[in-house]
Amino acid sequence: MSPYDSATSAGSSSGSSYASSSTTKPADIDGLLAGAGYKVRSSDLRHVAQRLERLETAMVNSPVELSQLASSDTVHYNPSDIASWVDSLLSEFNHTPSLPSDLPDLPDIVVGPGINPTVKIEGDATWMDHDAPHQQQQQQQQNVQSLTIPPNQLTVVAMEEDSGIRLVHLLMTCAESMQRGEFSLAGSLIEDMQSLLRRVNTTCGIGKVAGYFIDALSRRIFTPQASGLFGGSVSGSASAYENELLYHHFYEACPYLKFAHFTANQAILEAFDGHDCVHVIDFNLMHGLQWPALIQALALRPGGPPLLRLTGIGPPSPDGRDSLREIGLRLAELARSVNVRFAFRGVEAQRLEDVKPWMLQVNSKEAVAVNSILQLHRLLGSDPNRSPPIEIVLGWIRQLNPKIMTVIEHEANHNQPGFMDRFTESLYYYSTMFDSLEACTLQPEKALAEIYIQREICNVVSCEGSARFERHEPLAKWKSRLGQAGFRPLHLGSNAFKQASMLLTLFSAEGYCVEENEGCLTLGWHSRPLISASAWQAAPDANSPLGIVNHHHNNHNAL
Amino acid sequence: MAGSNEVNLNESKMVVPLNTWVLISNFKLAYNLLRRPDGTFNRHLAEFLDRKVPANAKPVDSVFSFDVVLDRSTGLYIRIYRLAHGEEPQLNIADLEKPVTAEVVPVIVFFHGGSFAHSSANSAIYDALCRRLVGICKAVVVSVNYRRAPENRYPCAYDDGWAALKWVSSRSWLQSKDSKVHIYLAGDSSGGNIVHHVALRAVESDIEVLGNILLNPMFGGLERTESETRLDGKYFVTTRDRDWYWRAYLPEGEDRDHPACNPFGPKGKNLEGIKFPKSLVVVASLDLIQDWQLAYAKGLEKAGQVVKLLYLEQATIGFYLLPNNNHFYTVMDEINNFVCSDC
Repeated sequence: MSPYDSATSAGSSSGSSYASSSTTKPADIDGLLAGAGYKVRSSDLRHVAQRLERLETAMVNSPVELSQLASSDTVHYNPSDIASWVDSLLSEFNHTPSLPSDLPDLPDIVVGPGINPTVKIEGDATWMDHDAPHQQQQQQQQNVQSLTIPPNQLTVVAMEEDSGIRLVHLLMTCAESMQRGEFSLAGSLIEDMQSLLRRVNTTCGIGKVAGYFIDALSRRIFTPQASGLFGGSVSGSASAYENELLYHHFYEACPYLKFAHFTANQAILEAFDGHDCVHVIDFNLMHGLQWPALIQALALRPGGPPLLRLTGIGPPSPDGRDSLREIGLRLAELARSVNVRFAFRGVEAQRLEDVKPWMLQVNSKEAVAVNSILQLHRLLGSDPNRSPPIEIVLGWIRQLNPKIMTVIEHEANHNQPGFMDRFTESLYYYSTMFDSLEACTLQPEKALAEIYIQREICNVVSCEGSARFERHEPLAKWKSRLGQAGFRPLHLGSNAFKQASMLLTLFSAEGYCVEENEGCLTLGWHSRPLISASAWQAAPDANSPLGIVNHHHNNHNAL
Repeated sequence: MAGSNEVNLNESKMVVPLNTWVLISNFKLAYNLLRRPDGTFNRHLAEFLDRKVPANAKPVDSVFSFDVVLDRSTGLYIRIYRLAHGEEPQLNIADLEKPVTAEVVPVIVFFHGGSFAHSSANSAIYDALCRRLVGICKAVVVSVNYRRAPENRYPCAYDDGWAALKWVSSRSWLQSKDSKVHIYLAGDSSGGNIVHHVALRAVESDIEVLGNILLNPMFGGLERTESETRLDGKYFVTTRDRDWYWRAYLPEGEDRDHPACNPFGPKGKNLEGIKFPKSLVVVASLDLIQDWQLAYAKGLEKAGQVVKLLYLEQATIGFYLLPNNNHFYTVMDEINNFVCSDC
């Protein structure tokens, strides 16, 4: 089973185009196991069961190897894929993968009292096929919507005060009236909310986040397509500098960006193993906070560091400063101090879609890592007159054939067409994020981090069209999108998970949690994931036209 | 000793559907990797392997869920599952705690299983089970993410259960028309054990629990019973692993006759004359600790308490995790009748 092949079918194509319907049930996946979080094809169940048996026998017969397996060194990947998980453990026991015909050396069915003897293992009679009355129905009706339709995730933290609930109610009503175009009603509701705010604690909890949403709503009514600070089109020098400053403080105040950097670096380090010339392309250099750790890790690499090239992309600085180069120089100095041969190149681009691959000067001998921290979603805005920027960019990335592409994105559904949907989703999302910030005591980091988040809120809520660039989509959608664009996942394993968890325990408040999601990792606050990290490489399909993958060629009748 | 070097896999295969066998065997083998002989637990790997699902305020099959953090310092949160009414496509935060509308709405406080060490309220298997409970019983289900062993031993799980019960009983929006919250406690495996002990605490308070539902509850004792010997290693579970979990949960130095493990044992509490809730005790005939579970039901009976015992022939542990067998439907019906008999 290929890593990202979620839709399989035995039959021939019905001639319909590949439909990525959000209610598509991947054909043949056992629906009940899917509900339990496991992906196993019904037709594979027997085979998986045999492998499990094999594994158990191995575990029982080799207790020493079992304890080694149970030690921290073994890396596990993608537990949802039981078949591959079991096989990877079996290979640790040095058993060669075997066909079912190998199994007769296991004891035959033991005949217990009152139990009828069954035939040998290769036959179909080994497991009882229960004639449970509802089984067939259940298998078909098993709701797999939750697999593909992004949920409205909500963790509420102690919404005790009535005025807090009233505030939320007013916010929703206001958003609803805006969606219906009733702007005078919306305006008066904003006034109501502003007066209610005066009676609510706005220093924390729902009061604080509500204040930002009320502000965003009023901008939407009174200054639509707000330019300057919050719009995407006008971006003065102060803006780029401010953005970097706010980003840096957001990095310090809470662990989301640290998690992003840490997880991406780990994956990049592993991908670069054995390569002497490596080239990292950073889609948003900022202050280059991610790179000292990678440089140091490469310096300590067994066998010595490679030659490291870093290409940092960032907005131009119109006041004559070359801020990209300044960061590059600082990183070069660090590299020099740890004896890592290093070269830096800055690429100025107002928008990521303005970057052309030739600007990156990738050479054929180097291993390339493309690093995108909260950048890809900005490419989702589409102009009917142009090709979608996301497709163009993913297309040239794929052509570069990077060793790895690390993708970090908000785990949120803020790009839905309906305003109400976006508003509700972002209210849930940012409430949770603000709540997680409560634990931070560093100032001015916390205050500036809040402004950083406030800007995102404003963009999601008050902007439209090309001005709205915070078009966050959840991991499930990115997986699908990247799969279609010709990428396949590189799974992040239990080692990355453990290190991320430990990092959080050391440096952050209680309440942050790392979760594994089919080869990707998410970081969240209490039970709500807020940011996701995944890694990708170009799927081997050299003949495919730009950006279109052929893997699903034969799977058009995914139902 | 049965099951020492020989692997008796064959018996379990014959009594459960294939996908159930795969599910439970997968857990069994993963769990073998997590329990260390020195009594410590590989928590990072456990969390990595556990399949979790987020709460979802968008109704799926008419059921929606949301989480509430009760204690930031311990991470205690509850996941609340409710029925969506009518054509609400979008629920907003204010709707989540909208008062229940029916005459009488049972509120089931649920404690997931995992032998005190495994799983969470957001584990996929338990999220699915709670959703099914809501649909079948038309109840509100509150699943408690209690602290787990061995990092948090007795009585942490009971403390968290008690905190959740108190929270639930104080929500005006959970009250039925008679201005009372109609509370039932339910749980499987270690969750069943927690049900008993939280109900015991409630007895000494003014919180009324209307009924206890114990699914394959986890009890034990020092003595080795006949079922433990007979069924050891045959149906996914061994006495060795049971012993490990008790050592992980009970206070250090305590043995399995501690009342948390053995409530009707030598150190148990006398329940005669106490206003203890009525109990529904479900026992699977292929569960190796059934002698303890049957003794529990007997103990309640002897103390003059109301108990209904449901003994399921040819059922193994975890039969209720997938709705693909008759036992699942039998038990769901029984639970439904149990919580609706007061409606």
